[in-house]
This record gives sequence, C-alpha cells and structure tokens, in this order.
Amino acid sequence: MHPLPVLRTLQRALMLALVVALLTGGASTSFGQAMPSMPAPTSSNLVCATNPSGTFTLTAKVGSISVPDGNIVYMWGFALGDGPFQYPGPVLCVNQGDTVTVVLHNTLTEDVSIIFPGQVDVMVDGEPSQPVLDAGGNLVSLAKAAAAGGGSVTYSFVAREPGTYLYQSGTNPDKQVQMGLAGTLIVRPTVGADYVYNSADTRFKPDTEYLLFLSEIDPTMHQAVEQGLSFDMRNYHPRYWLINGRGFPDTLAPNFAPWLPNQPYSALERIHPYDPINNPLPMLNRFLSVGTFNYPFHAHGQHVRVIARDGRLLKGPLGEDLSYEKFTVTIGPGQTMDTLFRWGDPDRGIGYDIYGHAPTDPMLPGEFPGDHGVPLPVTVPSEQDQTTGMYYSGSPFLGAMGPMLPGMMTYNQCGEMYIIAHNHALQQIVAWDVTMSGMATYIRIDPPLPNMCP
Amino acid sequence: MKEQKLTRRGFLSLGGGIAAMAVGAALLPRQLKALLQPVAVVKADDQVTGLAAAADLPANRYLLGTDGWAYMSPGTLIPPYHPDPWAPPPFTTYVFGLRDVTGLTPMQVEAQKGHVQISMPIIGINQETEYRIKLGNVGLLMRPDLVDSHSVHFHGFRNQTAYFDGEPMGSVSVPIGSSMMYYYKPHDPGTYMYHCHFEDTEHVHMGMTGVMYVRPIQNQSPLNPGERYAYNDGNGLTAYEREFAILLTDSWAKGHWDDTHIQVSDWSDFRADFWLMNGRVWPDTLAANGLGTDPVTGDLIAPPGHPELQYQPISSLIQVNAGDRVLLRLVNLGFDLPAMTLTGIKMRVVGKDATLLRGRDGTDLSYMSNTVFLGSGESVDAIFVAPPYQGPGAYDTYLLYNRSYGHLHNGGYSGYGGQMTEVRVFSAGTLPPQTEPNT
Repeated sequence: MHPLPVLRTLQRALMLALVVALLTGGASTSFGQAMPSMPAPTSSNLVCATNPSGTFTLTAKVGSISVPDGNIVYMWGFALGDGPFQYPGPVLCVNQGDTVTVVLHNTLTEDVSIIFPGQVDVMVDGEPSQPVLDAGGNLVSLAKAAAAGGGSVTYSFVAREPGTYLYQSGTNPDKQVQMGLAGTLIVRPTVGADYVYNSADTRFKPDTEYLLFLSEIDPTMHQAVEQGLSFDMRNYHPRYWLINGRGFPDTLAPNFAPWLPNQPYSALERIHPYDPINNPLPMLNRFLSVGTFNYPFHAHGQHVRVIARDGRLLKGPLGEDLSYEKFTVTIGPGQTMDTLFRWGDPDRGIGYDIYGHAPTDPMLPGEFPGDHGVPLPVTVPSEQDQTTGMYYSGSPFLGAMGPMLPGMMTYNQCGEMYIIAHNHALQQIVAWDVTMSGMATYIRIDPPLPNMCP
Repeated sequence: MKEQKLTRRGFLSLGGGIAAMAVGAALLPRQLKALLQPVAVVKADDQVTGLAAAADLPANRYLLGTDGWAYMSPGTLIPPYHPDPWAPPPFTTYVFGLRDVTGLTPMQVEAQKGHVQISMPIIGINQETEYRIKLGNVGLLMRPDLVDSHSVHFHGFRNQTAYFDGEPMGSVSVPIGSSMMYYYKPHDPGTYMYHCHFEDTEHVHMGMTGVMYVRPIQNQSPLNPGERYAYNDGNGLTAYEREFAILLTDSWAKGHWDDTHIQVSDWSDFRADFWLMNGRVWPDTLAANGLGTDPVTGDLIAPPGHPELQYQPISSLIQVNAGDRVLLRLVNLGFDLPAMTLTGIKMRVVGKDATLLRGRDGTDLSYMSNTVFLGSGESVDAIFVAPPYQGPGAYDTYLLYNRSYGHLHNGGYSGYGGQMTEVRVFSAGTLPPQTEPNT
C-alpha cells in the first residue's frame, strides 16, 4: 500500500479547490464584479443582478458555451449591459411593486424581442406589448422586437406578484429560446427577501437559495445557425441537457468558475443538516424550464415541498395549504416551480448515529437523541470489496473520512455527503453517448458548524 | 499540531491510510492543514470488529445482480435488434436485473448468474421496522468483459445518508464477487421504487427496477378489524381490500441488443419500442404469476402454460370482487411519460411519491380522476371501488392502459400491446381475501 500518491492527489485536489474558491468569491453582489475573497459556502448560491432603479439593459449577442464531452457550442444569449456573454441570461432580481424597465439592445442578425410570461400590462416603447402581425395578418413576433444589427426597444411593467419567472425571446421563439435567449426574473415579496411569497411558511435560509434553470441543446441546430444555414425544426434532437447552462460535472463548479467563463451559474446545492434551533430554515430551489420535454427532476435524500408553481403560491382562497411533497417533480416546458428542501430528522432519527459517535461523545445540533451512539447496523465491506465514488468520503458517517482503495481519488473535502439530484428521464443525463453527465447536480450536506469544511 | 518532519519510518509505523493524511497535514501551511483535518477519523477496524454484534443480523432479503433474458412480442421485427438473434429460444431480449435468492444455498446462488427476473421482486416492508437488503454481484453471463458494479437505490427514502443511498459516485457500490448490506428503518408509508444506480441510464433501462412499498403502522391498530391502509390517514380514506403494484418501464430494442453484442449505446438516441407493466407487454400482462423458485435448482418456475415468461414472473392482472376497495400502486421507471387511464371506473388519487395528499393544515388534497400521469421516477397511489357486478360471464372487464396511444403497441406490430391490463370484477364474495399483492 502506498499512501503517499493518494495523499498527493488529495492535496492537489484540495489546493485546486482552494485556489478556485479564492478566485470566485461569494454571494449576491453587483453582477459582473465577482469580488475575490475567502472561500464562502455561498459560492454556488443564486446570483442576483440588482439595480435600485429597476432598470436593466440586456444585450442579445453571440457567444459559446462549453459542454461536458469537451465540445463548444455556438449560442445566442442575453448579456447584462456591456458585460460578457452568458448563458442562461442574468437573474434579474426586483421587489414586489417595483417598476421594472428592460432595455433590449440587439446585436444579432435577426430581430429579437422579450416576453415576460406571468407579468401583466407589459409595455414596450410606451405601448402595450402584444403580438406583432405583418400587413397580411401573419404573426411576426410575440412582442415588438429590437431590430437586427443594433436596434433597441424598452419594455416595462410593474412586478405585481412575487415569484420565479422566465423572460425569453418572443421572436422565432422555437429557434431563439433554444439558441439561448432566456433568463430568470425573481420578484421578492413585500414581507422580505428571505421569503419566497408573502406567507410565513415560505421562509427559507437566504444563503441556501439555488437556481435550477433547465434546458437542452441540439448542437446540429446550433451549428446550422452558426453557419447561416436553414434548419428544419422537425429534425430537432437534443444531445445535451443542462442545469444553469452547464452539464454535470460542471454543474458542481462554483459561480464564475474561470474555466466556464460564459456559464456563470453553479448548481451545487450546499446545506447543513436541519436543526430546529441553529438551522431551522429550508433551502429554496427555484426551478425553471425552457426545454421541450417534461423533465422529471428527482432529488435523492429527501422529498421537496412544492410551494408554488408558475409564480403562484399553492394556497387556497381561505388560506388552505395546497403545497405538497414530492420525491420527483415534473417540470413542463415554460413552467417554474419553487420548492423547499431540508435534510435531517431530529424527531425520528434513522436508526443509527450518522456521525459515528461513541455514546459518550457530545451531541451535535439536530441529532436525534435515540440514534446517538448507536453503531452502524451493518458491516462495512473492506475497501477491496467496495467500488467507491469520486465524491465519497471513505466513511459512512457525516463529517468523517475513511481510507479509500489505493489509486482511488476523491473530491470529498471534510466528510461531507453528496446526495444527487437529477433528471430521472435517464436518457437525458448524458452528453451524446457520455453517460453520467447532463442534467444532474449534487446536494452537498456539510457537517454542522463549526466544521473544517472549506 | 506541532510541525514535524515526515520520515519514512514515521510513515511505515503509521501504516498509511488516514493516519498518513493526518501526518501529511502537518507538513502543510497552517491554513491548508486545517482543511485536511476531518471532524472525526474513522478507522476501518472500528467498523469491522467493534460493530460485529450489530452487523451479524441476517438480511431480510438477499438480492443478486446479474443478467438474463426476457420475452416480449417475438412477432415484432426490428432487424437486427429484435428479436435478439443470440437470445436462447423462446426469449427475445437481453436484460439486467436482480433475483431474490433469499434462502438459497451458495451453490444455488451462483447458479442464478444469467437468470435474472424483470421486473425485480415487489418488496413490502413495515413502517418502523428495520429491514436489511443484502446485495450481491455475480457478474454478467453474456458479458464477461464488463466489470459493472451494482447498487440498490431506495428511491424516495427520506433523510437517507450517502452510504445507503446507492448512488455510486457519492457512495459505494458492489463489485463483482462481493456483497454489501443495506439498512433501512422507514418512517414514512407509501409506494416507492428501488433500482440499481450504477451506470443508471443503462442499468435502469436494462431492467434493474422494482416496486418497494412501506405499510403504515395504522395497519397494526386498524379502524375496522383486519383493515389495511396505504397511509396513516386517521380516517380510513386509504383503506383497501386488494392491492396491485404496477411498475411501468419501457424498452429500446437497440439499447438491449447493444449490450448483448458488445456495442456502445448513444443514449441521446433513446427511443422506446416496447412499453411494459411489471416487465411484460400486453397481452402477457394478463398471464398469471410465476410459481416461485425451484427448490433444487434455485431457478424460477414459469407461470403455468407460459414457459416464455419464466423470467418475468409478476402478473399485472387485476381481479377483484364487486365492492372491493382496490389500491393501485403505480410506479414509473421508464424514460417515457405514461398517462394511465382506467376506463369506466373513477379512482381516488390519495398519494403521490409516498406522501398522503393532505396539506400541512389537514386540507384534503386527494382527488377523483380516471387518468394519472407519471413522470419518470414518480409514484401514484390510487384507490377505486369495484363497481357492482353486471354479467353475463364470470366477470366484468375494464381496461387499465396507457392513454398515450402512440405507445399502446409492441414495436409497431399490429394490434394492441404495451402498458395495458384488465380489471376483472367478479360478483361480491367470489374471490378469497388477498394475501400477496398482484394476486
């Protein structure tokens, strides 16, 4: 057995992670100014573009993204102002009641417009935004467009209702949305930014707010557009499925990862175990889909509670709770869903001590007393009799690491648990014929604070 | 920790492993050293010797991962893929799966290599009761070149830890020639599913899928004597007399053929050719259950008159008495999205994804429908009351089928096929009480 090579690999991985974390820095900030700072657990948290005046400039432009089989795909996308190309478009965060103004500059070779599904009374250049017909009565665009090659239009609306919404192109949307012209609009409720809606039971832990923007790419279609050729949409056949514009394992990279310059948003969901005193609030997942298929999204480890669909809280007219729990949430094209998730069962336990404590060890927050000190109820096979994963800690216990077979490396840093969340239409967690890629990410459960996790 | 120099002697005396990591940490600058120190260090020895007593409890179920052959619609021709030219008659399709080898001798267990069943056994366990599944891996008879491991993912189990979750990259899985024990103590009744998660796109598609369900503790103190429930409803809403688990999957002929013929599948090309209930296509969904395990060979005994269904032992025929409350545990592990319709009888959808449809404030969210739509990885609990028997004939026939008509065929072969079965309603009192699901 040669421990030294294993050590070197682990060291290297950790050094890389640390360098990356140092480069990328933290949570909500003025978009485009990722401030270098000490690694923060929020480096995968949802990143807002905010503006006190509620005015955003979106520039439709050409760019490219990197997909997990090593290819580069030609894309169209909305950039923030003069900022760099990005996919998906910037997350525009506003408050309920704000007047939102979106100035669209179009540098592409065809007209582009924006529609705001779920918003009412949207104005464009001072007129109500509505479908545009040509002289013969044919539909030209779902909204007034910014002309190709440098045109501009200005949309505005009052964000009346809190929630998670899409904005996307309304011109040739079958092509343009698939090319990448879509993004997220978040309206924060009046009661506060750590609530999803104006209801006490929608409160979430703010640094555990995660975006899951689901989409897909047909690279032959993008190639045709890049070369100026026509493409028959009946031949549309996606080969890449993405979360936040990235395919697994890029979904785990932090926000603003330097090796993914045009795909700024992470999908790694980091939480600590539920504890009614120190960590009582759930994490929030904001799901949006611009795909063409109903994505059945399945989180391991716990049910999610669906509290809202399409920007509307699931409550009856008399305040009845219509929310529900699912282990798989099917999200249709154009839908949004808001779900809450927490992990850990201080009331019922799991039948053994998840920390591998001896009975005399102190209790950790959120532990079920009946589990404390109860040994693992099975024999763990020796390393030679296990196949271990690249994110496994080497130990069944949270916060502990154990030996791995020589030659096996792990990205595990501090005994955290990686619980997968993925599209369960398993032919879509691929990139062409590369499996275990695509529309998948991890929920990373760190041991309770204080811990040694970076 | 004091700065130390690492010497070879020091390394050897520590025996490597975690201790070496701890020592190695001493060589790093202070900040990085802190990062390499885990909260607790568990040595493998602790787990093997110190816990020997607890770990000696036997498995409730011993499942064996391997491969095998199944039968679906040999009349369908999808050259060169279906029927698979290498399939031993009467079979048509290469599959992976798990066999229940609980109680078999070690020699019998080894002999089950290549004798898998699809769908995998229906497993029912009781709430608040410990359940151990031993998973073994004997390799693939048709593919000695593949070194695939297997795992068991109890899909939907709440608050699961990585070790028992079965997702291979964040956890462990079972290599060929080994086994491991999974442990569950479920607190939440309902209908779940279990499947291999190793190379899941391939293994799930090849057939390593099954229904798991948890019976509520309300069964132990029923509101009416002998009554059984789907959930701890407190009011009898989910009571039933008979239950039927229907696992919905699909099959891409080329994908299965690729695995026999040592080809790589481009899963982005996936397109289902067959749609199955409990591993069978219509009309085989109506055939009876297999007759269990041969006590000598350990192999499966085919349903009477259906030698071709030897490795697809689970029936989807629903036979009930008029007035019975019937629980349908519908589970989808296919890649397509079926819309299951019960013509002529309304169902009450009482649960989804092993959760009673009830708001946190007690609002009843159950609803009546005759169609339920299931995304991949979803489950639905629906209860219908069998209508009065009308006759003539021994029973009245209703159809439970996938309303997605484009999928109600067998690979394009003429006539009906796919995910369809019959509900047969007999006059009250005809059938004896049910002791097992799907009987």
